[in-house]
Amino acid sequence: MTATQSPLKPKAYKSSVKPVWCPGCGHFGVLSAVTKALAHLALAREEVALVSGIGCSSRLPAYTELYGFHGVHGRALAVASGLKAARPDLTVLVAGGDGDGFSIGGNHFLHACRRNMDIAYIVMDNEVYGMTKGQASPTTAPDWTHSKLTPHGTGIPSFNPAAIALASGATFIARGFSGDPGGLTRLLVEAIQHPGFAFLQVLSPCTTFRPEQKEWKKMVHPFDEDATGNPVEAAQRIVADDGMSTGLLYRTRIPVWQPANRVSMEVSELEGGFQV
Amino acid sequence: MKITISAPIETVPEFLAHALELENESVERYEQLADSMETHNNLEVAELFQKLAGFGDKHAQEVTEHAAGMQLPRIPPWDFKWTSGEAPENQGFDEVSYLMTPCQALRMSLHNERLGRDFYAHVADTTPTAQVRALAREFAAEEGEHVRLLEQWIDSLAECNEPPPEDMDPPNMPE
Repeated sequence: MTATQSPLKPKAYKSSVKPVWCPGCGHFGVLSAVTKALAHLALAREEVALVSGIGCSSRLPAYTELYGFHGVHGRALAVASGLKAARPDLTVLVAGGDGDGFSIGGNHFLHACRRNMDIAYIVMDNEVYGMTKGQASPTTAPDWTHSKLTPHGTGIPSFNPAAIALASGATFIARGFSGDPGGLTRLLVEAIQHPGFAFLQVLSPCTTFRPEQKEWKKMVHPFDEDATGNPVEAAQRIVADDGMSTGLLYRTRIPVWQPANRVSMEVSELEGGFQV
Repeated sequence: MKITISAPIETVPEFLAHALELENESVERYEQLADSMETHNNLEVAELFQKLAGFGDKHAQEVTEHAAGMQLPRIPPWDFKWTSGEAPENQGFDEVSYLMTPCQALRMSLHNERLGRDFYAHVADTTPTAQVRALAREFAAEEGEHVRLLEQWIDSLAECNEPPPEDMDPPNMPE
């Protein structure tokens, strides 16, 4: 047991906006874990920015009392990278869903991993587009038939977020479960403290369009081994994994990318370039 | 569900830190459910959850009074000794639905109060410290009283003998 000094309780990081998530949604657990992690780290609210894209999970900034930016679909990482480049003093968190992050924002995900800016990226993965009433997402199993758009399943192998993150150069890869807010809080704390791009996939059941995901609480289990810093070992573990292991999988340290932010031109000079 | 702890709770401040977290988490979850039900226009159940949050808040205040003058340890959220992942009274909330009835809400609350009672009883059975044992027994008895009141409340509701309402606006699923 370690003592921490937090001037704020987790509740102080929640806004007065009432979530529109369905009752029972896994995202409530993520919101709870985010506020607990920030309280544990004793971060001042004005020192944290939470950026999101579009989707149920991307509503998170509205429900927190932090700087927030509810951005464009799939572009949360691009916005967050710009913010971190301009304001390296801020703790920058990014939140979104599996569709936002791996489909529409898939390209940004790859490059955010390899750029290794000091950002924590939380993907609330429920293997479905919930906000648009239940279509298959990149992480949906190929034989999931419960959508009118894909009545015979997608037939496409699902995206493996950890494998893609590793291959793209992410320096922190972890998986949590929204039904374990304590464990998830610990991973979030480690992700925020990690110097570099931290990718945290959170299994977060959609109780409305994927009610079978309520069984996840019986299926999740911790990784068998402690985190490795060896990418080959990490790759082997990812390939052997059933997708339901939780904990820190991979962590390594390489230089964090951060632009120097030197003034290279006066605003008046810049304006001169736009004269018609 | 069986309540277990990772190790015995040995001191009164440690016990009260656990009790306070348990009660506060319960209050926060009921408040969240009340908001959620209000958002989904289930006002009757919203009011009920708000009432349950109020009861929990009173219990949290009692725990705070017990802790007056003590320095409680600040325990990281992942280091509480219950092994259920979430606090013992915060179980089963993934089973809620925007259509849930007061009876279903009370049954869920009853389930959680029983878990709370079992947690305190388990602490009493496993602690090596007499003071912790006495307090844990007192708290278990209080939770037992809540269980009894909830059972009576449920018995008084005629709707508890009826089947749950059908969802007239189900999620967009194929036949």
